Amino acid sequence: MTSERFLALVAAYGADARRWPEPERAAAQAFAAANPAAVAPAVDEADAVDALLYASRVPHPSMALRDRVIASAAEAGLRARREGRRWLDRLAITMGAGWAAAACAGVVAGVMMTSYLTADAQAEAILYQASLIGVDDAEVLG
Amino acid sequence: MALIADPDEDLVRRVGQGDPAAIQAMVARKLPRMLALAQRMLGDAAEAEDVAQDAMLRAWKQAPRWKPGQAKFDTWLHRVGLNLCYDRLRRRRETPTATPPDRPDSGPAPDRGLLAADVGVRVDAALARLPDRQREAIVLCHYQEMTNIEAAALMEVSVDALESLLSRGRRALRQALADIRPGAEGA
Repeated sequence: MTSERFLALVAAYGADARRWPEPERAAAQAFAAANPAAVAPAVDEADAVDALLYASRVPHPSMALRDRVIASAAEAGLRARREGRRWLDRLAITMGAGWAAAACAGVVAGVMMTSYLTADAQAEAILYQASLIGVDDAEVLG
Repeated sequence: MALIADPDEDLVRRVGQGDPAAIQAMVARKLPRMLALAQRMLGDAAEAEDVAQDAMLRAWKQAPRWKPGQAKFDTWLHRVGLNLCYDRLRRRRETPTATPPDRPDSGPAPDRGLLAADVGVRVDAALARLPDRQREAIVLCHYQEMTNIEAAALMEVSVDALESLLSRGRRALRQALADIRPGAEGA
């Protein structure tokens, strides 16, 4: 690090070493530590400019601006895709399949119950007809 | 070509997928930077809002087709913002009646000390009177906190040229505000 380069760094980037280019920072800091009197005028001058620059303030974005910008994302075609909800889709499919299986089981049970009750009724009808005189079983059973 | 590490990479990917939370996070992260860039480049709050909103709209359009590793998204967004600012600065020059009223650097009133806000206003006015490229160099390096390499690439100049612009800009500011003693302003 030369005196000329140190002065150029401070003139361009200011007095705050954190703003100096990283590859030259350590060497520049070492130079300043070794030559405090020589660098002081330039550092003080740069520090004064830094203080002026820090006095500038800009407003934060208003809520209205934020809302407009967020709304513009949808206008630009950004829509939530369904990839992020695959687990929800799978859950819906699983639950749907469960309901379908339950419905099928209900139908089967109903059919079986109907057959069972019909058989009982038929048996009672046969016994009843058998108790009657002159009626052929074949007429009842078909 | 080496891939460029980008702290915004994951966020941009999620924005491109339309993730509402990512869109909100992108607004929180980038809108203040775009607004600050435009405000300091243009010196006009309404125009700065328009530029920031337009830059973000272009970010939304770019996100789904963003190719990570080729550039930093923040650098790309700054390029967009600066182009929008320069479009407006060019229109101002071409249309004199559209030039915003000049803000005279009248200095402090004789009967009172300087408040911090007064200093800020005067600094902004002095910044606005700098040549565009000097102002751009200071805005990118000091306020937007870009590295010298990023700022030079963005401005399409060498690092030496960037440092020259920075030095001249800072010197001009110091001269324009020579009456302000460091630390003279109140809180």
